[in-house]
Amino acid sequence: MNAEPQAIAEDTMPAFSSEPTLEVIGVSITYGSDAGGLKAVRDVSFRIAPGEAYGLIGESGSGKSSLAYAVLRHVPAGRVTGRIMLRGQDVMEMSPQALAAARGRIVSMVYQDPMSALNPAIKVGEQIAEVVRRHRKADRKAAWARAVTLLGQVQLPHPDEIAHRYPHQLSGGQQQRVVIAMGLACDPDLLVMDEPTTGLDVTTEAVILDLVNDLRRALGVAVLFISHNMGVVAQVCDRVGVLYAGQLVEEGSTAQVLRAPRHPYTIGLMNALPTINRAQARLADIPGRLPDLRQVPEACVFAPRCASVQKGCTTAIPALETVGPGHRTRCFERDRIVRAMAPPAEAEAVAEEATGKPLLQIVGVERSFGRMPRLNLPFLRQRRPVRAVDDVTLDIPRGRTLAVVGESGSGKSTLARCVAGLLPPNAGDILLEDSVIRPMVQNRTRPEQRAIQFIFQNPDAALNPHWTVEAIVGRPLKLHGLAHWSADLRARVVELLDAVKLGQRYLDRYPHQLSGGEKQRVSIARAFAAEPRLVICDEPTSALDISVQAAILNQLRDLQERHGTSYLFISHDLGVVRHIAHRVAIMRHGRIVESGTPAEVFGAPQHPYTQALIAAIPTLERKRRGAEPDTTRIMA
Amino acid sequence: MTVIAFILRRCMLLVLVLIAVSVLTFAIVNVLPGDVATAVLGDMATPQMVEAVRERMGLGQPLPDRYFAWVAGILHGDFGRSLQHGQAIAPMLLGRLGNSAILGGITLAIAAPLSILLGVLAALRPGGVMDRVISGFAVGTHALPEYVIGLLAILAFSIWLPLLPGSSLMDPNENPLSRPEALILPIGVLVIGMLAIISQVTRVGMIQALASPYVRTATLKGLPRWKVVMKHALPNVLPPTVTEIGMYFGYVIGGLVVVETLFSYAGIGQMMTNAVSYRDIPTIQAGVLVVAAAYGIGNLCADVAALVLNPRLRG
Repeated sequence: MNAEPQAIAEDTMPAFSSEPTLEVIGVSITYGSDAGGLKAVRDVSFRIAPGEAYGLIGESGSGKSSLAYAVLRHVPAGRVTGRIMLRGQDVMEMSPQALAAARGRIVSMVYQDPMSALNPAIKVGEQIAEVVRRHRKADRKAAWARAVTLLGQVQLPHPDEIAHRYPHQLSGGQQQRVVIAMGLACDPDLLVMDEPTTGLDVTTEAVILDLVNDLRRALGVAVLFISHNMGVVAQVCDRVGVLYAGQLVEEGSTAQVLRAPRHPYTIGLMNALPTINRAQARLADIPGRLPDLRQVPEACVFAPRCASVQKGCTTAIPALETVGPGHRTRCFERDRIVRAMAPPAEAEAVAEEATGKPLLQIVGVERSFGRMPRLNLPFLRQRRPVRAVDDVTLDIPRGRTLAVVGESGSGKSTLARCVAGLLPPNAGDILLEDSVIRPMVQNRTRPEQRAIQFIFQNPDAALNPHWTVEAIVGRPLKLHGLAHWSADLRARVVELLDAVKLGQRYLDRYPHQLSGGEKQRVSIARAFAAEPRLVICDEPTSALDISVQAAILNQLRDLQERHGTSYLFISHDLGVVRHIAHRVAIMRHGRIVESGTPAEVFGAPQHPYTQALIAAIPTLERKRRGAEPDTTRIMA
Repeated sequence: MTVIAFILRRCMLLVLVLIAVSVLTFAIVNVLPGDVATAVLGDMATPQMVEAVRERMGLGQPLPDRYFAWVAGILHGDFGRSLQHGQAIAPMLLGRLGNSAILGGITLAIAAPLSILLGVLAALRPGGVMDRVISGFAVGTHALPEYVIGLLAILAFSIWLPLLPGSSLMDPNENPLSRPEALILPIGVLVIGMLAIISQVTRVGMIQALASPYVRTATLKGLPRWKVVMKHALPNVLPPTVTEIGMYFGYVIGGLVVVETLFSYAGIGQMMTNAVSYRDIPTIQAGVLVVAAAYGIGNLCADVAALVLNPRLRG
């Protein structure tokens, strides 16, 4: 590595005297034809100094990924206007040769999903070495040696051996290290990271974020960091820009924006974020939805959803105005709004223990996948069975929420499917109100089927695309004989839709006409149509934006209070669990390693794994872990 | 799981398949209504003649005994005697197999790379001029039966333009390679027949691969376009294409009935056609077994090639 180590003090802004590594000037990106085209990004400007880490925060549809790819001029379906200056050269004006020479050498990319970003048919060492050969004119041997060095630098153990592996032979965290090594292969000036930890478990995420910080310090590479997760951005970035509906609405140092936001949208996002430190009764969601970006009005784009909206907000577009050193916000009311923080009061209406008998008991449930072949013939493939759920015993109290938390592969979803009767357990029983119920849902009695309903993780896949909302929500009503005449049925469906704040006008819509949050509300309405005793929620908000997640979580709490329904809540997000659970069970490798009330588990975790999980959560305060770049760490 | 273990396991499976095929062919031929000897001799045979043939063919013995005697013979390289020619089947089969292998081998050697190339070219710009020409040609030729293409080829190149022989009839002992001009038309017809499917399978796979995230990664590394296509996309496209080619392997060895008959080419397909019309049962049985083996070996080769091309399958 020949770059001079450059110390970057935390939370201080690098001087702007030097030429910026990246300067984005008035960039707009339009998809489709001009008149009716989708104006995904509108007039965005920002600059990144050498060695600086700049975070772009935004929810889905904010245009953050379009911007990230525009920096490498990779917007196949869109039209980019404005200037993107990379070390003083306009990316949009480059010849194809110059562009190809800049990609991978001056600017390179780290992707959201490393598994699909790596070529499955090529050894990872070669995937790194070819970049070196391409841009450095190195011979095969030297390029391979450089690849091995890089793999060592991203702290992969035995890099010379890893280099010979194929992507599928590595874990998700290891794959992302390979992608980072590939990005750094030619010492670029700028690394664009598009949600680099979104697909990773929280403990892996923490290690990767540390690695990014270490490498940045050691190599002095500037970073454009795209994320929807404010905690993650806080761990890495010096400065932050907040994108809403294709516009930069606020920009400033990480501390300014995340601790003292001055735009109603940023404030709304912060208040919608469930954290493990406070278990407030309600999360503050942001009502409404993204505006239609095909017809952007001459107004503040956030006005329809804004709590502080004034008359002037709907007649002119506010400019980015300075509110502090380096801190700018796009709001007419910038001097009047203050962050209305949700009171950190320990409004824990949770404390009282559930009394009486539990509603549902899971007793010694086991489930394995794959089994030994009965005949050990030489030409039959032999598989070792994997124990996904290993002797799990849990109680779900009446009218309360039991949250099962774990990382991917912990067996939490398998457990949920066993309870729902979608998968038969190999051993153990499930008791509903003290009586054992049949393992498969089709063998259960009608009242038992009705008592247990399911909300799936991915609302896109869980709703029949050929049915209207009315048919979807009305189906369980008909099935369980809860409504007989069509007028009666429709009234009940409307009632259910009202309860999830959708209302009558959604009756005739099809799933593809709904946003992600609306689809999940339909799923909830469907689950509650049967008037269940227990609703199994399998990561119901992990596919949703933070502002929508808050609304859905509030909804679930309201419905629980109104109907006294119990929840089995499966999640990997400790903040969400802290917010919604009355009891928490931590699951790892198919076993429950710790359980208790949220206050117990999060306040004083006993098991080392729980402690590691909690320590790994990216919070808004930057954490410092083993800082030396050359520290070798145990693999995640 | 190593590649060697995989090949060994598949070879064992292939043996099982061949055993099953041998049982089936033997059973079907012997379970058919009517006596084999009668079937061979036709309606005009006297009972004495039938008895003589039955004696010679060993039809008096029980079925399992005859099956094992037949299999034992095959394992010693003896496929029995042809009823039509009265000579041993094995040497004739070998010669025919060689002729078919020459025809099929050359066909595959031309068609496989050519159709992959055409598929890749078509996929570079889906809907572009190149794609329309290639895919249009593929669909058009695929809609025409082999004998139509063959007859058109004979009409065009040996009657209107008398450049090439319309028949590939040769001496039994003649090596087809010594008369390459007689091979051009049959190979051309076969290649055109194969291009359609293989090029379209490649095209579809290539369009998908070019839209994949790993191709985006390769592009954003700054690699030139040809390298992105040939090094990053193609290896991921080939496995299904290779499987398709493997299917054709068995076909070109034993299934060239139409083309071999049309051009009077002395291959195994023509031999089978003749054997069927003469009810030469031992020859039919031997032929079916050899063709089944060719299909099995072709698929085996394709699977091994797919395994080599796709590291994920190697585990």
